[in-house]
Amino acid sequence: MPSFRMSRRQAIRVGTVGLLGGLSLPRLLQFQAQAAGAKGAKAKSCIFLFLEGGPSTIDMWDMKPDAAAEVRGPYKPVKTNVNGTFICEHLPNCAKIADKYTILRNHSHNDNGHTTGYHYVMTGVKADFADGTNSRKPNNVLYPSIGSVVSKELGHTDTLPPYINLPHPLTAGGPGFHGAEHAPFVIEGDPVSPDFEVRDLVPVEGIDSKRQDRRKRLLSGLDTPASSAAAPTGKAGTMATYYEKAHDLMTSAAARKAFDIKSEPAKLREAYGHTTLGQCALLSRRLVEAGCRFVGTDHSGWDTHFTCFPSLEKDLIPSVDKAFSALVTDLADRGLLDSTLVVMMGEMGRTPKVNAQAGRDHWSMTQSVLFAGGGIKPGLVIGATDKNSVAPLADPVSVEDILCTLFHQMGIDSTKIYNTPLGRPVPIVNGGRVLTDLVG
Amino acid sequence: MTKPTVALLLTLLFGSAPAHAAVRVTPTAVTLDSPEASQQLLVTLDTADGTRTAKYEVANPAIAAVDASGRITPKGEGKTEVVVKHGTDTVRVSVEVTGLKSPRPVSFEQEVIPILTKASCNSGGCHGKAEGQGGLKLSVFGFDPAADFQALVTEGRGRRVFPAAPQNSLFLLKAAGRTPHGGGKKIDQDGHRYQRLLRWIQEGTQFATAKAPAVTALEVEPTQKTLALNGTQQLRVTAIYADGTRRCVTAESEYDSNAATIAGADGRGLVSAGDKPGEAAILVRYMGNVTVCRITLPRPGVKFPRPAEANFVDKHVWDKLERLGIPPSDLADDATFMRRVFLDTIGTLPTAAEASAFLADAAPNKREKLIDALLARPEYADLWALKWSDILKVDKDAVTPQGAVAMTRWVRRQIAENRPYDQFVRDIVTARGSTAADGPAAIYKSLSTPEIAARSMSQVFLGVRIECAQCHHHPSEKWAQDDYWALAGMFSGVNRKPLPGGAEAVVWTVGADLGPVPKGKAKPKKGVTPIPVNGVPAAPLGAEPKEFAPSDDRRKVLADWMTAPDNPYFATAIANRLWAHYLGRGLVEPIDDIRATNPASNEPLLAALTAHLRERKYDLRALTKTILMSRTYQLSSTAKDGNATDEQNFSHASVKPMAAEVLLDSVSQLTGAPEKFNGWPEGYRAIQVWDNRMPSYFFRIFGRPVRYSVCECERGTDPSIAQALHLMNSPEIAAKVQARSGAARKLADSDKKPAAIVDDLFLAALSRRPTDAERAKFLEAFTDGDRRAAVEDVMWAILNSKEFLYNR
Repeated sequence: MPSFRMSRRQAIRVGTVGLLGGLSLPRLLQFQAQAAGAKGAKAKSCIFLFLEGGPSTIDMWDMKPDAAAEVRGPYKPVKTNVNGTFICEHLPNCAKIADKYTILRNHSHNDNGHTTGYHYVMTGVKADFADGTNSRKPNNVLYPSIGSVVSKELGHTDTLPPYINLPHPLTAGGPGFHGAEHAPFVIEGDPVSPDFEVRDLVPVEGIDSKRQDRRKRLLSGLDTPASSAAAPTGKAGTMATYYEKAHDLMTSAAARKAFDIKSEPAKLREAYGHTTLGQCALLSRRLVEAGCRFVGTDHSGWDTHFTCFPSLEKDLIPSVDKAFSALVTDLADRGLLDSTLVVMMGEMGRTPKVNAQAGRDHWSMTQSVLFAGGGIKPGLVIGATDKNSVAPLADPVSVEDILCTLFHQMGIDSTKIYNTPLGRPVPIVNGGRVLTDLVG
Repeated sequence: MTKPTVALLLTLLFGSAPAHAAVRVTPTAVTLDSPEASQQLLVTLDTADGTRTAKYEVANPAIAAVDASGRITPKGEGKTEVVVKHGTDTVRVSVEVTGLKSPRPVSFEQEVIPILTKASCNSGGCHGKAEGQGGLKLSVFGFDPAADFQALVTEGRGRRVFPAAPQNSLFLLKAAGRTPHGGGKKIDQDGHRYQRLLRWIQEGTQFATAKAPAVTALEVEPTQKTLALNGTQQLRVTAIYADGTRRCVTAESEYDSNAATIAGADGRGLVSAGDKPGEAAILVRYMGNVTVCRITLPRPGVKFPRPAEANFVDKHVWDKLERLGIPPSDLADDATFMRRVFLDTIGTLPTAAEASAFLADAAPNKREKLIDALLARPEYADLWALKWSDILKVDKDAVTPQGAVAMTRWVRRQIAENRPYDQFVRDIVTARGSTAADGPAAIYKSLSTPEIAARSMSQVFLGVRIECAQCHHHPSEKWAQDDYWALAGMFSGVNRKPLPGGAEAVVWTVGADLGPVPKGKAKPKKGVTPIPVNGVPAAPLGAEPKEFAPSDDRRKVLADWMTAPDNPYFATAIANRLWAHYLGRGLVEPIDDIRATNPASNEPLLAALTAHLRERKYDLRALTKTILMSRTYQLSSTAKDGNATDEQNFSHASVKPMAAEVLLDSVSQLTGAPEKFNGWPEGYRAIQVWDNRMPSYFFRIFGRPVRYSVCECERGTDPSIAQALHLMNSPEIAAKVQARSGAARKLADSDKKPAAIVDDLFLAALSRRPTDAERAKFLEAFTDGDRRAAVEDVMWAILNSKEFLYNR
């Protein structure tokens, strides 16, 4: 059941049928949770494109043609299909559909580190570790990431995991205290590569369903709660949870179909761009169609300290141009844009002034963030930065504000309190406001 | 004034100790000698802290003020008293305020820097980072006051301080958030910090003042405290200056907890405990000095019988558990112990035959016999060669395949021969000769510059992470930049000369003193050692420099210093590393970050292990046996009431993930289908493969390290859905389970009864026989007559059980 959302009333009706047989109780509870969670929601799903390293949005969405040469950089702004909105000349496809998304130019925060900034954006909580010390592993051991919160609040729709990472784990995309159950399912593999597949989803030939059932029964004879290795704590406990998730995934034909990006027409694949970001965006759409709630794509390479303009112009900006424009257009064509919120940002922007190595350094004080679909007002430019994009002119939008707005669109109350394992109450988002300019 | 002295003084004052709970207030006399001075009182009850529950009143509010937390601040010159009431007790504290009318000028170095640090202006995420922030660059944590002074007073076109109208100085406007500031408002305009900064500018921005000597030590009171769950304790921090003066800096100091979930501290030094028993160290920092207050939260009201001690390890562990009120688990049964000790020492699963022989052995000392036998097995050397190759960065791409083979073989032989650890390390540190010959010389291809060699060897062999001192003073240790460069200088003569055939020879040419690149120079290229203008005389960490002739191989002096009996780091670091390997967690964590401000969870135990290793002349096998013989190591991983949440005191064994290579070998052994490694002769096991770059999906998802760093943490141990899917469904695992010559096929084709087959597979995988219920359940697989399928399914289920996949 693609694009399926239940009202409370529907859920209750289904529940009655379920009690008569057909729907199991857990399934019923799940539908009820869904109906409750979806209350007031505009967006069923979110596609989060994370431009890791810090995108140079001053060269993309917030150009300063009147600034000095060392600030404005080599690119020229061009008109878009929205009167008065100008973006970089290297974003021609995005320029044609500026009426379908909104540029927020007054995002600003003060964490200028990569891993700490990533943690801040993904969790809404300032990192308690020094920048760079936790770069190898998902580093939010305590606080859950956006996707894990979505997983916790909205749960599964169909058989796909509610929270998926592409094409590798998001550094700060872990579940924190929500635990393994809400960790991302990571599709490790680059969908642009010809031999891309989600591995090991089905047993080898010859193991029929009868034997699969028997194997599962036998396994349950060993992994008993009484066995200390399967205790719900520690890594073995986490592993037990992952086994359950893996089983869910294996038994779903819809899931396997969703992963099959090769079934997309070549023309559409080309429109998204033959890049990792492009094909991740396309795969994200397929996953969202199949019921995934939150797809996080990590696109690295944006930490352009040195000689930034050649790579921005030839590689980075064009990949965004195609991926973002094709995704928004494709979602709109399929009637999915209203129910799918697309957010594109990184952990920071880049310094207004081009440095001595012809690059731009970290600048979390300003970054433009893109929003599309999911009930946001399209075709706008919200906020502005000063003449050199050093700081927002007024009314800076914080990480917390962005998360609040994202959760609001998905029908999640961001003031809801959770207790950490030690019983410390923490809200889903600490403060923040819903950006009324953006969502109306 | 020490506490006993105060108590004595109080006793003298009151004539005799009061019958009810004594209230002690310290200090009893306070002198405040500057407008922003303050003094934290501490009110100590019999067992608890009374500072926040006492009531304070000042006799003459024109002279001083006191807040609810017991902090006294000056108002006007003169003398008065603060009256402290707690319950029925009253204590009077005399207060003298001086220096308000003509205050001692504010010293930038002594008084402004700490304010910048406390407000995190100079933190690594803000103005302290290498490129500064918004044009203002400060030294990280204020370790270079002269540069910071320059930055604030003379750079920025002089706008930052504005003596004509001090309150309009950009510096103050930004700090107080009166003008847009990326960091927001950092300092309260009504607070004493702002007042001090303002006065500093009013007085003409003096760098140092004659009357302000350097801080030489920091004292925290109390230094350790046992708190009830959710209890609190006010700390007092006193700076001791070179001239002996003492000044309360409680409000100026910074506080960090190493276990914030157990206890944390706020900016005023109030420690708040959580509701989970355990221990935390509160790190206190002021002006480059650090000290620690230890907080212990026992489980209330727990008593347990103290198990017998197998050796000194148990004594220290039980002592600690008693103090915390955490009972130890029971002894692990023979099967669990056996499987654990096999996997830990030789990275190899016991076979079914080994398991049944051990279970049947009635000898009372059979565990000791097994430990001795395992430590003599060749796989012991394989496993530890693998482990050392990881941490010594034996990366094929960096050291060449020949170098990787040479090093792996050499390390393996040292382990097999049980070479004393001090000699092993000496050989590595002073390595020379061909990088392709049997020996450790290739390490200098991986540790390719003096700086990389210095910081890597320091981290691996001393447990000292000196890396941050390359650019600035270590934030939580005494190490300064000079220490870093002095150590790097010990490696400065290491060079590599090409040999015929593509290998290189590591040689010592000319030693030089190294130092940081002078300011203002462009950053050097990666891998190129900059030539310093003023080199720091080479020396081991914290040791006195020596005179070296250029041709002297300084590494020999370094090795002498490292392995000397009084070296404070060397033996401790390896003792902690071994402990962490066998117990699943270091006494110090992370295991290679040993410093006063990161104390061991059981310091007497770590000291005893260290002493034991020295006594045994760095015999690693002897130390290993001591650890393995302890009851602590042999405890069950099954938690007991009251110890389930304990993670750092070794009250129960930890369930450890297997290394990727060990797991693959275990799967291969159980299935009887050895892994064939591409390009390798048959019969090699994963733990013997020196090629860390060999492509393998299995190794990747199970976290094989790329040997990029010397940190053991590089080895990933987190589970994932991908791992579960791979073990359940992958063609690779299926091929093993179904292999023609594999164990499942052999059992199916044998004339064994199904019950015997199930028993055999349990023994081979889990080193135990099934329970009756398990056997009955697994026999169900045999009811449909297809024996091959039945055996495969039984094997598949056991292979996917958490009991198999983890070392418990």
